[in-house]
Amino acid sequence: MNKFLNHLEEWLITFLMGAATLIIFVSVVHRYGTGIDFPLLQDWLLSINMGWAQELTIIMFVWMAKFGAAYGVRTGIHVGVDVLINRLNDKNRGRFIVFGLLAGALFTGIVGTLGATFVLENGAHYQILSWLGMNTGDLYEGPTTPDLEWPTWIVYSAIPCGSYLMCFRFLQVTYSFIKTGELPHHDHGHVDGIEEETLPVDANPYDMGDDLHPHDLKHKQYGEDSDADKGGKQ
Amino acid sequence: MSAAIIFIILLVLMLTGMPISISLGLTVLTFLFTLTQVPIESVALKLFTGIEKFEIMAIPFFILAGNFLTHGGVARRMINFASSMVGHWHGGLGLGGVMACALFAAVSGSSPATVVAIGAIILPAMVKQGFPKNFGAGVITTSGALGILIPPSIVMVMYSVSTNTSVGALFMAGVVPGLMLAGFLGFTTWNRARKFGYPRLPKATWLERAKAFKESAWGLFLIVVVMGGIYTGIFTPTEAAAMSAVYAFIVAVFVYKDLSMKDVPKVLLNSANMSAMLLYIITNAVLFSFLLTHENIPQSMADFMMGTGVGMIGFLIMANILMLIMGNFMEPSSIVLILAPILFPIAIALGIDPVHFGIIMVVNMEVGMCHPPVGLNLYVASGITKMGITELTVAVWPWLLTMLVFLVLVTYVPAISLWLPRTLGMI
Repeated sequence: MNKFLNHLEEWLITFLMGAATLIIFVSVVHRYGTGIDFPLLQDWLLSINMGWAQELTIIMFVWMAKFGAAYGVRTGIHVGVDVLINRLNDKNRGRFIVFGLLAGALFTGIVGTLGATFVLENGAHYQILSWLGMNTGDLYEGPTTPDLEWPTWIVYSAIPCGSYLMCFRFLQVTYSFIKTGELPHHDHGHVDGIEEETLPVDANPYDMGDDLHPHDLKHKQYGEDSDADKGGKQ
Repeated sequence: MSAAIIFIILLVLMLTGMPISISLGLTVLTFLFTLTQVPIESVALKLFTGIEKFEIMAIPFFILAGNFLTHGGVARRMINFASSMVGHWHGGLGLGGVMACALFAAVSGSSPATVVAIGAIILPAMVKQGFPKNFGAGVITTSGALGILIPPSIVMVMYSVSTNTSVGALFMAGVVPGLMLAGFLGFTTWNRARKFGYPRLPKATWLERAKAFKESAWGLFLIVVVMGGIYTGIFTPTEAAAMSAVYAFIVAVFVYKDLSMKDVPKVLLNSANMSAMLLYIITNAVLFSFLLTHENIPQSMADFMMGTGVGMIGFLIMANILMLIMGNFMEPSSIVLILAPILFPIAIALGIDPVHFGIIMVVNMEVGMCHPPVGLNLYVASGITKMGITELTVAVWPWLLTMLVFLVLVTYVPAISLWLPRTLGMI
């Protein structure tokens, strides 16, 4: 189940990123293509309306941002101010890390609930009832987006879905941190890659042992192995 | 009063080490729940509409374009070209490194990415040639900072998003300061290398130079796509970013063949991961600046500053110091997103040009990236060279000093930033 969710999440944000790029590319090519004076081609191109491209890209990127943020919790990419807590001893740092993770779960939980309420009040409730063939009463049908004319509640449901997923990820990371003392991070693969003078595809400059991320209990900084107060147990 | 409460909540939350985005969001929620009557439902909507701007979408596209080209091949070609041009002078490969960083900055919008791409290749080569390790590390750590000054730059897009300044004008304004800083850093490198007698490279012939240029031209053409497209009005900045991402994909996969098709999903995923992190900070920063505006804080701070009679010069000194201090705790994007809404109205009230102020902010961020405790570039360099942070800090200081001199120059000579966009009629 969890594995399925992981794959779905990765697949979704990869797809959204690639597809959004393609859409903008095609719409730009289309815009200049219509200017070419070539009888049949021009008529055909003019008959296609690409006015929705911008709106769709924005929607796709917002969805990518929400689900990507949840994925980011799992890869430990979110940056913080960890200068102070990284100077603490293992036990106290551990407490702060757990506090930070739970604060993340709290925030995303609240936002998810707020978003869910908003979505329900702006069309979802009406839609679900009318699908079930029930009396919708005086419920609000909800607005639609300007270009694509999609119901906004579907578009905005990225907030509750993404935030609840993110909340779940924060709890997951908290659980595994309490159990193993490790925070998620990429393998520092790029360091291995240097001998062969190529970078691995997932080299990530935001994921070095810096003070923007909390050092977990197994953290080790280059050249400071002897610094007992910083390195933790190694 | 409410300003003090907001900033104290934010400060306390941030210092506990939770992600910046979360602490911004929680600050807003805490304040709204307890102290005001703003309908809390509007908060959830803001989380969506906050990034519902087409201009912001340039960020993921530029990250994607940079990621396609941050792989050995492009960087190595640029290093070859740079060292064939300047390698025979004092400083040899080190000087080549500065120039290669400047070139690479023109395809990448991020400083740490520049350090990774150029440093990973040039640092081992420099050590092999007999340069001391800390000399190489110092050169690359600081020159890598050019990544956010020379367009395209992600930090500049962030600034333009939070202050509604034209991205095109900012990018243009970054060109001259970027080249100048590269010159300054190059001079420091040259000077130190001459003093200590470091190895130089044999002089390359013009034929070799032309060949090296042809090799790297494919990558360098990306900056032409971006700047040319924006300047001539063919693309909007976001479209230019998307086109550059497609261009980078074609160059990396079909021209240079550094990546195979099966690596592409990995690059997409990795870019999406990083963009989502930045977009999440933006969403919460928008929420935060909504709170500030709602409480009328930027306006009252601007009035207060005007009332104290501190002039433009005094304000710029204070802004510089504030940003340098913030640079000790946070990474550039977050600083820009938090500080810009507060400092920008004051700067405008004092008659500072918005584009010039943007460049000042970016140069400040560059300095912050090169010194501890959070200097991202330092940590990247530490990962590559396996040197400790303390050791690296000592290695970096001659170049860091150069950057501080440059910072003063950029702050008080607006013409450096404004000349080019003004000549081109962009501002």
